[in-house]
Amino acid sequence: MAYSELIKDFNKIRDYMRQFYVYGFKTRDEYDAKSARSYDNERRRIESWLGDYMSFRQEPSGKVSFISVDSAEVDANPLYNAFKAKSFTANDIVLNFCILDILQPGVKLGVSEITDLIDEEYMSAFDDPKVFDEATVRNKLKEYAKAGILVSEKDGRKLVYSRSEDTVSLDDWQEAISFYSEMDPVGVIGSFLLDKMQKHPDLFSYKHHYILHALESDIICTLLDSMTDDCTSSIKVQSKRKSIVKDYEVIPFKICISTENGRGYLLAKDCNSRAFNMYRLDRIQSAEKGAFASRKAELMESAEEFTSHLWNTSAGRERTLNHLEMTLHVKRQEKHILQRLNREGKQGYVEQIGDELYRFVIDVYDATEMIPWLRTFIGRIEELKCDNPEVERVFYKDLETLYAMYLKDGGEGDAV
Amino acid sequence: MLFNEIYGNYYNAVAEILKYAVRGELTQQDIYEITDSKAFAESVLSIPGAMNSGEWPFLTEELTTPLHHEPKMPLTTLQKRWLKALLEDPRIRLFDVPAEGLEDVEPLYRPGAIVYFDQYSDGDPYEDENYVRNFRTALQAIREHRKLQVNFRGGTGRRHNWVCVPLSMEYSLKDDKFRLIVCGVEDNNIINIARIKKCALLEEYAPEEVSEISARKKKLVIELTDERNALERVMLHFSHLRKETMKLDDKTYQITLWYDKDDETELLIRVLSFGPVLKVQEPKNFIRQIRKRLEMQKRFE
Repeated sequence: MAYSELIKDFNKIRDYMRQFYVYGFKTRDEYDAKSARSYDNERRRIESWLGDYMSFRQEPSGKVSFISVDSAEVDANPLYNAFKAKSFTANDIVLNFCILDILQPGVKLGVSEITDLIDEEYMSAFDDPKVFDEATVRNKLKEYAKAGILVSEKDGRKLVYSRSEDTVSLDDWQEAISFYSEMDPVGVIGSFLLDKMQKHPDLFSYKHHYILHALESDIICTLLDSMTDDCTSSIKVQSKRKSIVKDYEVIPFKICISTENGRGYLLAKDCNSRAFNMYRLDRIQSAEKGAFASRKAELMESAEEFTSHLWNTSAGRERTLNHLEMTLHVKRQEKHILQRLNREGKQGYVEQIGDELYRFVIDVYDATEMIPWLRTFIGRIEELKCDNPEVERVFYKDLETLYAMYLKDGGEGDAV
Repeated sequence: MLFNEIYGNYYNAVAEILKYAVRGELTQQDIYEITDSKAFAESVLSIPGAMNSGEWPFLTEELTTPLHHEPKMPLTTLQKRWLKALLEDPRIRLFDVPAEGLEDVEPLYRPGAIVYFDQYSDGDPYEDENYVRNFRTALQAIREHRKLQVNFRGGTGRRHNWVCVPLSMEYSLKDDKFRLIVCGVEDNNIINIARIKKCALLEEYAPEEVSEISARKKKLVIELTDERNALERVMLHFSHLRKETMKLDDKTYQITLWYDKDDETELLIRVLSFGPVLKVQEPKNFIRQIRKRLEMQKRFE
């Protein structure tokens, strides 16, 4: 089949884009692709969609392609372009523009009349016209009615179609759409809207802006739709080792996103198990809306209770609470440290226990998840205690390794 | 739901081309220029060909079209549902948006359906009328290229009264804060919107006379040992920065990051949070700061 920059299946390209963006050190031979030709085609497509954001570097082992973006310096997420590259047939595009040209505001017509008009008014202008049968036109009309572009109604025994009423003043929404298209987990929808509008200078810039979630937009959108309608979802989840894909029927409750790395999770309850689980969105290959989940309302409180004790997303194997206390030496002029404890410490609390001595206390599922955050206070930690012995063991062992890495020569003279 | 050709660049490009054709103004050059601006880098290899060959029968040889109206597609239900969901976000108060036209759809999601589980808890007060007023005034100043008089309290509590040129409105999802990026005041260029007591629009300025704040990027080189899934964690964590990665051997990688000088302390603790799987190689001053913290820590043992 001839190469095209458009694609039919999003899953094929998703993994390539993720690897080009997140890792960016692999040569052509290191990709787990079916063939070198497949790699070449996918790389060429991504290059066409992303333009200057795609970079190259020559290494002894081969050419390395990677996506390089400082997201503080871009005004629009370039990865959204992948969702604007869906393939279509010539019939699709011809019917799109002809049907919308025929169904101007106030016009209501049946499928036969529309088919005749396409033939007489539009295709007749060409020497070798396309011929559309009624069934093809009917399918497109149904598809557009389902998408909300058209409205269908009965006129006697005949089904007639008309253009949907659209009274949204997009111009008044422009700045809001511009902001939310970058900050909302399904902001790609805003990007679609911006594409139809006159481009205005961007007023916003973004810090700590993770753009990779864009590649999960379709999955998140389906899951949100299921949640709003209190339905189940059928999801296909790739295992950690990527070798197995498992099917789950779940009741979805929340999309949980980290602002520290952009990674997203689905909080859901497996219909065939008792426990709530967090499913990584980047491992969900597909999601489909299922049937009405009658038990969702009664489980909602348990879902809230479950998340109220999480540090991030892990409940640990035991699913019991760990008690952690961290004593910090905070000088009088270091109020920002106390501010950090309060604003970042989630369900924990801070108490003063002496002159320049403060204790942070928390009960949380799986306190090992806190270790990276605890390390950010290195230099001030007088004592760390946790009833999960793994926390103290890992923290102090790593600290010894850090001492060996940075202080083995006694440090620099001006280090203090 | 959303991976559909109706939202695609090809449909947008063809709609724009047909707009010119309906007006009777289309040229071959327009077809190429519109394709170039509305679609992808390689689209010029396909869209003009399909339009001119009759594969997509829209244009006659004279570049006229049997279409009678400039193409316009109503919003889809999905687009309306997304807008309706935004109406329930606390930050929407910052934008004076109309709810008209969204009455007949359900929001795509409801408040609480999306949770940022590690977002800081001291985000901006979107309910505060004075905050909203200041935000809108500052945004208007950026939009209309007007100078701004800003009365605010600095990080140390000191009062300031600046006349400045606002360049952009910066938002951090992690902090849940808006900050105004300004120029015109020496050594200071960021004002937290929540710290503004009041601000007022001043005269217009010529945008070409304002030089953008030069990017004060610094380079950080770190060596990563891939233990405990560190490669994936580190790569994701720093994926928002421009970076280059080189594989040194099966378990070791060298990562170069470019960061804003003002964010050095934040970056320092983020590097520390990964523990011994990251070792800073340069710059020396960064290493010195890590040593300082480790020596301070060692005194407690």
